[in-house]
Amino acid sequence: MTFWNFARKSALRKPLRSALLIVSVAMTFLIYGLTAGFVAGSQGTAAASDELLGVMNAAGRGQPLPMAYLSRIAALPGVADVSPITRLRGSVGDARNVVAVSAGDPDKLLAVSGADLGLTPSLIDALKSRRDKVLVGQSLAQAQGWKTGDSLTVTAFRTKKDDGSRDWRFEIAGIFEGKNASTDTHFILAQYEYINKARARGIDTVWAFALRPEPGMAAQDLAPQIDALFANSAAPTRTMSEKQFLSAFLSQYADVKRVITLVVGVSFVTLLMIVINTMVFALRERRFEIGVLKTLGFRSPQILLLVLAEALFVFVVGGAIGLVVAKLISLATPPALGLVIGAQVSLRTIALILLLGFVAGLLPALSAMRTPILAAFRTR
Amino acid sequence: MTISEKDIPFIALNGVSKTYRSGSERLPIFAGLDLSIGKGEFIAVMGPSGSGKSTLLNLLAGIDQADSGSIQIGGQRLDQMGEAARSAWRAQHMGIVFQFYNLLPMLTAAENVELPLLLKSISGRVRRERVSKVLDIVGLNGRGRQSPTKMSGGQQQRVGIARAIVADPTLLLCDEPTGDLDRKSADQVLAMLGFLNRELGKTIIMVTHDPEAAAQAGRTLHLDKGVFVEDEQVMA
Ligand SMILES: Nc1ncnc2c1ncn2[C@@H]1O[C@H](COP(=O)(O)OP(=O)(O)OP(=O)(O)O)[C@@H](O)[C@H]1O
Ligand SMILES: [Mg+2]
Repeated sequence: MTFWNFARKSALRKPLRSALLIVSVAMTFLIYGLTAGFVAGSQGTAAASDELLGVMNAAGRGQPLPMAYLSRIAALPGVADVSPITRLRGSVGDARNVVAVSAGDPDKLLAVSGADLGLTPSLIDALKSRRDKVLVGQSLAQAQGWKTGDSLTVTAFRTKKDDGSRDWRFEIAGIFEGKNASTDTHFILAQYEYINKARARGIDTVWAFALRPEPGMAAQDLAPQIDALFANSAAPTRTMSEKQFLSAFLSQYADVKRVITLVVGVSFVTLLMIVINTMVFALRERRFEIGVLKTLGFRSPQILLLVLAEALFVFVVGGAIGLVVAKLISLATPPALGLVIGAQVSLRTIALILLLGFVAGLLPALSAMRTPILAAFRTR
Repeated sequence: MTISEKDIPFIALNGVSKTYRSGSERLPIFAGLDLSIGKGEFIAVMGPSGSGKSTLLNLLAGIDQADSGSIQIGGQRLDQMGEAARSAWRAQHMGIVFQFYNLLPMLTAAENVELPLLLKSISGRVRRERVSKVLDIVGLNGRGRQSPTKMSGGQQQRVGIARAIVADPTLLLCDEPTGDLDRKSADQVLAMLGFLNRELGKTIIMVTHDPEAAAQAGRTLHLDKGVFVEDEQVMA
């Protein structure tokens, strides 16, 4: 028997009580693991750039800006490259199979977003080889089973062609992979010129301008200068970094996140109270025993460690079960649900398990440590 | 007459006073108690209930502290040690046997005996050897895996004695070790304590109400109202 074996046997002295405690700890960490995994899986902002700026209509998303702004923005000192962006949303085949198409100036896209999206000069050359060529992001290509050379027809929700049809035919010139695994590549890159010329309405307007500041020019300094340029025009602008934009876009979701965080927080506090309460009661039954240990020569720090180890044991076993079950669930659900329990979430959960185990054990441990030793010798 | 080891005081109490206070109430137990015990002695402490027998053992064990006076054991001033030092001292030099055995129910008999060894840095193999050896001494070899909750009182007390001697202490403190046992079991336990004293040289201080138990001891101290009223020396 080692000291840790002894702690384990002490913790499991009442199997039913231990089992119930472990189950409630497991449940709590299952909930935590799933929520944290959901948040990690759905959070696009992690990979978003702080450097790229997007210029949009201050009146709100979806409102267009005149293409004529392009030259004025490009002429501003500190702007390295700028590309017009127009968007088109529609379905491919099945009406529920929704895809997003972003169209820009191929060379400028390379300069502005090339590094983030994983665009290469050869990909851009392939894109430019014909006006209806497109590049497809790896994540979307994988989900749809598309490959280079395939043709696809996007039936736009709104954007009509000048012949009245809403079917846009494209041919895939290549696949872009994104800078890393967390880059959003679930969209199609098309050419602004093609879409702009072919659409029935909104010619020479853009949804946004994407721009990269010159090296040494801070994005947050450049943004107000751009907005100042158009402050008194018919369509004032609002310039944000890609990250700000995504955060704003996700803000509704962020509220949900806050609620979930609150619920998880409350369940943690409840769990802590239950465990601490149970352990304090368990210790009261054991005052006598702790006195015996002390008369045998166990010192206060060892008693502290013993009780802490018991709490940690309950949390480590319960927490591990909860985390493993959460991981299994994340593997069993379709990726579209956005449930990702990777190394980061796992490590954070493990740290939390240890922290809470420690907190839950500390109070009972301190009280055990202070148990008067004479309690052992006095007759019961 | 030669001076034997027994004549050099192993335990020396000088002017020990102890008063329990609860609120404004004062309960004096000892006022200037002196006591001298030689190494290898087997002492029985008798006296009416409430005379301070357990308090004396608690002071000797260092789990309670005197208000004044000195308590010396093996040349060390117990009353001048801090709590941690007293714990370490107990773990190293003292074995304690309780009236109600005080075994831990979730451990087997052998694990209960092993408990004091967890405080020592010795290998698992040596620990198991020591446990098996002391279980042999108390006549319980082969029962190590049994739960103490399934044992008779006499067997449980023998486990308690094994636990008290497993770390090889020089001093055994026993508070009514046979108080909860039938005659036969009590005699076995007393025989065992006699053996530990004679053959292994343990100094034993045993509180008891049982005259037959006291007869096992080399000397009986009678405690009444906080003082030793007579000091019987059993001549060998
Ligand atoms: N921690 C304590 N606080 C207050 N009073 C105490 C405490 N411990 C013991 N006493 C009191 O001190 C007196 C002596 O107690 P002690 O336990 O030493 O007696 P004892 O001789 O062992 O008696 P018994 O034969 O009944 O075991 C008793 O009156 C007891 O109530
Ligand atoms: Mg007593």
